[in-house]
Amino acid sequence: MPTETSNLSATQMPSAPVLAASDICVRYGGVEAVAGASLTIPTPQVVGLIGPNGAGKSSLLAAIGGQSRAASGRVTFDGEDVTQLPPHQRARRGILRTFQTASVFDGLTVFENLLVAGLGDQGSRLRGALLRTPALHARERATAARAARVLEEFEISHIADHYGRELSGGQRRLVEIARCLMRSPKLLLLDEPMVGVAPHLVERIGEHCRAICERSVAILIVEHSMEVIGSICDRVVVMASGEVIDDGSFASVMKGESVREAYLA
Amino acid sequence: MSFYLSTIAVYFCVDLLAAWALNMQFGWAGIPNFAFILTQAAGAYMYAVVALGPSGGLTAFQHYILGASLPFPLPLLVAAGAGGVVALALGLITLRPLRRDYQAAVFLLFAVIASDVVSADVGLFNGSNGLAAVPQPFSSLQTTLGLGGYQWLYAGFTAVICLGGLSLVRGLGGSGWQRALRAARDDEAGARALGVNPAVLRLQVFFIGGMLAGLSGGLLVGFISAWSPGAWEYSETFAILTGIILGGVSNNWGVFVGTFLVQIAFQELTALFLPQIGYPGLSDALVWVVIGVLWLLVIYFRPRGILPERRTRMSTLQPSTSPEMSDAD
Ligand SMILES: Nc1ncnc2c1ncn2[C@@H]1O[C@H](COP(=O)(O)OP(=O)(O)OP(=O)(O)O)[C@@H](O)[C@H]1O
Ligand SMILES: [Mg+2]
Repeated sequence: MPTETSNLSATQMPSAPVLAASDICVRYGGVEAVAGASLTIPTPQVVGLIGPNGAGKSSLLAAIGGQSRAASGRVTFDGEDVTQLPPHQRARRGILRTFQTASVFDGLTVFENLLVAGLGDQGSRLRGALLRTPALHARERATAARAARVLEEFEISHIADHYGRELSGGQRRLVEIARCLMRSPKLLLLDEPMVGVAPHLVERIGEHCRAICERSVAILIVEHSMEVIGSICDRVVVMASGEVIDDGSFASVMKGESVREAYLA
Repeated sequence: MSFYLSTIAVYFCVDLLAAWALNMQFGWAGIPNFAFILTQAAGAYMYAVVALGPSGGLTAFQHYILGASLPFPLPLLVAAGAGGVVALALGLITLRPLRRDYQAAVFLLFAVIASDVVSADVGLFNGSNGLAAVPQPFSSLQTTLGLGGYQWLYAGFTAVICLGGLSLVRGLGGSGWQRALRAARDDEAGARALGVNPAVLRLQVFFIGGMLAGLSGGLLVGFISAWSPGAWEYSETFAILTGIILGGVSNNWGVFVGTFLVQIAFQELTALFLPQIGYPGLSDALVWVVIGVLWLLVIYFRPRGILPERRTRMSTLQPSTSPEMSDAD
C-alpha cells in the first residue's frame, strides 16, 4: 500500500523497486538454466525479456514467480525478500503470471476462472463456505461485478459461460491475463502471451499490456516477435545461455551487437 | 417385503452419503481416493466399540479396543470424528509429496494393508470375525413399534441425516472454496500462481469427506449390528466410484441416480430377483463383472455420466440480473 500514491511523477524516488532479482541461478538436475541473472524493475513499466530458445527466460520467470526455487540469488519484491516463499504466497503479495502453455481451468467456466482469482484467499476459505456470512456474500457480489467488468474490458463477455476446455488458443490467453487482473497485480509476468493467437488479438493483447501498465502495474513480458516488443516495451532485457547480456531501450538493444550474436550463436 | 424395502432404504441412504462424500474428494478435488472405504470402516468400527460396552463383558466372545456404552447420538459423532481423523491421516501421508498417478496406487495399498492388519490383529476389532451384537439405538422401541416399524423409523432417521449431508454438500458446492478446489484439480500450478494453496484445501476436503463417510459407517453398523473386514473390501470403493461416474461426477443428482443404479439396482435387486446360477458366489462375482463393464461403457459413450455436471452460469452469480432465472439449458 505505501508506494501507491506518493510518487505519481514517476521520478526516481528512494522507494523500493517493484522487483529486484539478483544473481539468480536455476538448475534442473545438471542443467543450469539460469546462471547468475540479475534484473531490476524500479517502477511500473513494460519490460520485454528476449533471447533465443533455451536462454532461460521461462526459468527466470519461474524463479520470480516461485514455480522454481532459485538455487541461489535473491528475489526482492516491493522491498520484501520473497526468495523462500512458495508461489501462492507470492501471488498473494501481487506477483501474478501467465504460463508459456496457457493455464486455464478447463472444468470451470470463464467466469468462474475469474472468480477463483478474484475472491482471493479470504473468499476461498472453508470457514467462509460453511458459515456464509453476509460479509462474504457482499464480497462475492463485488467480485462477480468486477469479473463482469473485466470480461467486458477484454471483450470476452460472450464466452463467460464457456468451459475452459471449450476455448480457442487466443481466448485462453485472454482469459489467463484477465484472470491475473482480478487479483490486482503489482507485477505481471507474461510468458509468450501472443503465441498461437490470431493477429488481431495480438494487437489487442499488446494494447491491454499498455493499459494495464498505466494502472501502475509492472509487466515483464517474454516475447519472440521484435515487432511486438518494439511497440509495447519501455525497456528490453536480453538473455542468452542463462545470463543477462543486454539491458536498455529497444533502440539501443537493437543497435548493440549482443542481440545479433545471441541469436546467431 | 416391507421389511426388505426398509432395509434397502437404509442401505441406499448410507451409500448415498458415502457417494456424496467421495464425490467431493474425487469429483471436486480430483483425488483418486481408492482408500475411501477405510474412512467408512473407521466410523463403523468406532461406532461399534463405543456402543458395545467393555470388551470381555456381555460379549465375551469378542475382543476390541476402548469399549464403552455411550448413549445413542454420541456413537454417531464418534464415528464421524473417526472417519475425519483417518482421512486426515491418509491425506497427510499421501497428498502432498506424491504425483496423482502414484497417489492412486498408494491409496489402494493402504486399503489392502489396513484390511490385512485389522483381520490379523484380533485385539483391535476382533480380527477377521469382526464385531457383532452391536446394540441398535433405542432398541426398546422394537417392542412397541414392532421390528418392521422400527426398521422404517431407522430408515427415516437415516434419510434425515442423508438430507443433512446433502444440504452440506450443496452449500459447499457453490462456494469459493469449492471453486478453488476444482481449479487446483484442473491445473495445480495455475491455481497456486493465483494464490490458492491446494495442500490446505485438499486436507480440508479429506477431513469433511472422511467425516461424512465415518457417519455413514456408523449409521450402517447401528442398523446391521455387525462389522467385519468382509464389509469393507477395497472393491467397495470402486462400487461407490462407479455410481459416481455412471451418474455424473460433481452432480449431486447424478450421484444419486448412479448410486441407486449401481448399489441398489445391480447389487441388491439382482441378488434378490435373479436366480442363483452356477456355484454359490458366482452371481455376486458376475455383478462385479457388470460393474466393470458399465464403467467402460460410460467412459466410452457418456464420459460425463447420465447427468453431467451443471454449468454455473454467470447470470446466477451476478447481482445485476435476477438470480432466480438460471440454468435453462
Ligand atoms: N523442467 C525442466 N527440466 C529440465 N530442464 C529444463 C526444464 N525447463 C527448462 N529446462 C532447460 O533449461 C534451459 C532453459 O529453459 P527455458 O525454458 O527457461 O528457456 P526459454 O528461454 O524460456 O526458452 P523458450 O524460448 O524455448 O521458451 C533449457 O536448456 C531447457 O531445456
Ligand atoms: Mg520459455
